[in-house]
Amino acid sequence: MIFLIARKEFLNNLLTARFVIGFLICLVLIPFSIVINIVDYRDKTVQYNVDSDVAEKAVKEIRVYSALRPEIVLRPEPLSIFSRGISGQVGNRVEIRIGDKPMLAAGKTAAGDNPFLGSFFSIDFVEIAAIVFSLLALLFGYDVFTREKEDGTLKVQLSNSLSRSRLLAGKVLGILLTLLPIIIFCFLFSAVVILFSKNVMFSAFEWGRIALLFLISLAYLAVFIFLGVLISARSRSSVTSLVLCLFVWVFFIFIVPNVSAYIAESFVPVQSRDNLDRVVNDMDRDLTIQTQERQKAQNLPTGISCWWCNWGDDGRLETYGNSRANFEIMLRKISISELLRIEYADRKWAPQKTYLDSLIRQSRVAERISMISPAGLFRVIAESVCSTDVRAYESDMEQARRYRETFIDFLRNKNIFASYRYITAAPPESFQTEDQLIEIRSGGEFKTAREYYEWAAKQKDQYAAWRKISKVTAHGDQPNDFPFLSVSDMPRFQGRSKTIASGLADSAVPISILLIECVFLFALGYVAFIRFDVR
Amino acid sequence: MKTILKREILHNLYSLRFLISLALLLGVFLAGAFSYVKGHEAALSKYQIARSQYDEAMRKDAESNATTLAVTMRTFTLRPRDNAFIDDAKEKYLPNAAVYSAWNVFSFENKSGNSNPFLNKHDDLNWAYMAALIVSFVTLIFTFDAVSGEKESKTLALTLSNSISRGAILFAKYLSALATVLLLLLPAAGLNLTIILLAGRTPLSLALVIELGVFLVLVCLLAATMAAFGLFTSVVTRHSSVSLLLSLCIWLLFVAVVPNSSTFIAKTIYPIENSETIQRKIDAAFDDLNKNAPPGSWMSNSRNPFLPQHELRARIVMKRLEAEKRIRDVYYRNMFRQFERTRLWTALSPISLFQYMSEAVVGGGYPRFRKVWNDLHIYQTQFLSFFKDLDAKDPKSPHWYNPFEDVSTTRLKVEAAVVPQFAEQPMSAGDRARAALSFLLISSLGACFIYLLSFVLFVRYDVR
Repeated sequence: MIFLIARKEFLNNLLTARFVIGFLICLVLIPFSIVINIVDYRDKTVQYNVDSDVAEKAVKEIRVYSALRPEIVLRPEPLSIFSRGISGQVGNRVEIRIGDKPMLAAGKTAAGDNPFLGSFFSIDFVEIAAIVFSLLALLFGYDVFTREKEDGTLKVQLSNSLSRSRLLAGKVLGILLTLLPIIIFCFLFSAVVILFSKNVMFSAFEWGRIALLFLISLAYLAVFIFLGVLISARSRSSVTSLVLCLFVWVFFIFIVPNVSAYIAESFVPVQSRDNLDRVVNDMDRDLTIQTQERQKAQNLPTGISCWWCNWGDDGRLETYGNSRANFEIMLRKISISELLRIEYADRKWAPQKTYLDSLIRQSRVAERISMISPAGLFRVIAESVCSTDVRAYESDMEQARRYRETFIDFLRNKNIFASYRYITAAPPESFQTEDQLIEIRSGGEFKTAREYYEWAAKQKDQYAAWRKISKVTAHGDQPNDFPFLSVSDMPRFQGRSKTIASGLADSAVPISILLIECVFLFALGYVAFIRFDVR
Repeated sequence: MKTILKREILHNLYSLRFLISLALLLGVFLAGAFSYVKGHEAALSKYQIARSQYDEAMRKDAESNATTLAVTMRTFTLRPRDNAFIDDAKEKYLPNAAVYSAWNVFSFENKSGNSNPFLNKHDDLNWAYMAALIVSFVTLIFTFDAVSGEKESKTLALTLSNSISRGAILFAKYLSALATVLLLLLPAAGLNLTIILLAGRTPLSLALVIELGVFLVLVCLLAATMAAFGLFTSVVTRHSSVSLLLSLCIWLLFVAVVPNSSTFIAKTIYPIENSETIQRKIDAAFDDLNKNAPPGSWMSNSRNPFLPQHELRARIVMKRLEAEKRIRDVYYRNMFRQFERTRLWTALSPISLFQYMSEAVVGGGYPRFRKVWNDLHIYQTQFLSFFKDLDAKDPKSPHWYNPFEDVSTTRLKVEAAVVPQFAEQPMSAGDRARAALSFLLISSLGACFIYLLSFVLFVRYDVR
């Protein structure tokens, strides 16, 4: 009997305008969202390839270890086509520095090259599905009892030996059967578009996750069907039921997600980024002072003349053409500064972690408030399934932090902070005294450094004085005299592992809540229908 | 007609949808008011700290010497607006700071910490959000069955059997929907305003009252447009359920589809060069300048201001600044154009139109930033003249202008009080009107067209 009622409901629904319009909405919106997000994914992949090439080149085209600062480029998540999560709001590049632990990734966000585009919002498959599936479920559920009551057919049916529970089960099954083809169509259509897209390649992991998303969508749909049935069973007329359903829909789909984020933003403050930057700058200043003091304690001079020097941040120093004595002083200074730099990175991490935690806390609060709505739950689960949520991002960043430790160990194992290879590609045995260098560069005009400096002090044109000792270029004066450094033994970054179950433990709670909501709403609908006055 | 209008308004007021709409609006406005008070206070306190540091840095640089004052790059940050409770104009996602020195306005940025990257993008619960989302929805809910619903309940034929024109009936229904929406909005907005004013951080001024008044007119225009769409769906179908579905489709199109396809439109239809290409162009220009620079141009290891190489370096650095400025200014213009043209596409949605007009009325968002950007360029030329005047008076200065170093121009101290300061000027009424005018025209014409279409269809409507 249940299947007979379900079949009748299904056939009735198939002939209605709402089925046709609902199907048309899906036919327009689903391709719209999939195409937009495939284009977005293609752009991200292009950017990833460009960034990866730059990062690879940067590691290959260096001559000294102080310039070796590998950059991790995070691969775009293919499932962001379905749920973008925060993937469009965070960068994809993490530079591994010895003086800082990775906090937030740099690089372009979804706004791309125009920051004004950041004020435009975007929509993905999951959001469209959340809007359309819930609307269709409510539109098919709102008059499931009230319409038959108004037509007078409900009491006729119940005058037969048909129990209310069977009638309810049949009707719910009928609505599910009606909406199932629409949902299957949405997922199949998306799968076909992805299969035929040149820019996207899904592995078994991604297909498995889409299957999981499909099952979650069914649970989400069921929640709204049961909600529609409950409202219908508690309403006296179809109009009342419809109005209630529509307001519930707007509240859950559009208002709660927005209100949750705004309330979290207002009432759960994040640490000030400006303040963090100030604290970190103060620590960097302290690092400079400490470094200078320790160097001074070892009688190392503050300033030093340099023939060819390329200074950069995070201790970068590449130098050539100096005297043996100057090379030695530079190395001793570097040995002090780099170890202190690593020590200060750990100190800076404390306030950075506090800031990061405050960002995560705020987003968690927003997430929890949004779970009031089944649409919020659906979105949270979908982001987790598609690995585009804060947890997946933090997992990537945590891997990057661990990789930094591995990288520093790699440098330490080579005892690189005490090696000339840190600052120059010139072999130590080729270093010469200052007298020798002056004699070579001046073409023999000056025999000693003292002779040259005494002469230079009397000159008005300092540039002309300098020209005197750059007549002849000695071998080893320029970086181009040396080959690039081979870092094939450097450990490489391994991204987080991808298995069907990985990262899903965190979504166990929202999935459970969604299922409990299903059961609870069905039970409420059942009780309401048992007490429903069919007259 | 008065009778019909009165009947329609009363019918709406006694309906369940009115009660639910009122509860929804009151709830959201209430949450919005408390969140705004809390959030605005935090934003103001952050801004005040940053501003005092900006002022202090400028004072210290002036006390150091005039050249340091001129060459130091500063970041001017926009103050959080006091009328942001009407419309925040998505300012937290827009650039809100500009970097400048006496020599150039270099770039703009969204100052860090403005928004949490881990938080999904969202609108603030301000008046513009309520209007764009809830008022537009409620207006459709009050109009979708205005004609088809009456046909189903058989009262339409009865009404038309009286000596009243179809035009009058349609207009009365139209006006009643607008009146109902206003009756819903006013108490909720009043409650919101009362809480915000009582909190004491937002002063009530004549300008604010005018902004509120004009904003309400815009809400009426939005409601008028959506009511016209509601009537259209009502007269184009025979059943109210189909009208409702059509109305919801239209609403989804205006609220979700059109505005959310903006980034796609911008990147696909109006692509601009990427930042890597721009950097390559700048590097090429720099290489070209370096190749043609006289020998010794980069020699800098002397604090003697009259060292001849300082003049060579000043010249090449100035040329580099000009070359980079030319490339970047074109790049920025392309960004502005891409953004503006994309907004024109989204003008297909009355809700987007309303948002663009609203940001102009409150003097916020993109028009505000463009004004500050343009004003900062004017200020920068004044600041530069001020510096050049100081430098000209110093006999110890070689007057070799170098925009990035404090070596070869005046090293005299300056009184911080006489240094010209940049202050943001609020958008004038004329600026606001200009920013809103084209959108106002499109919106008004759209509303009239849809209403006329509904009227024509209603005249031909079979009421049996």
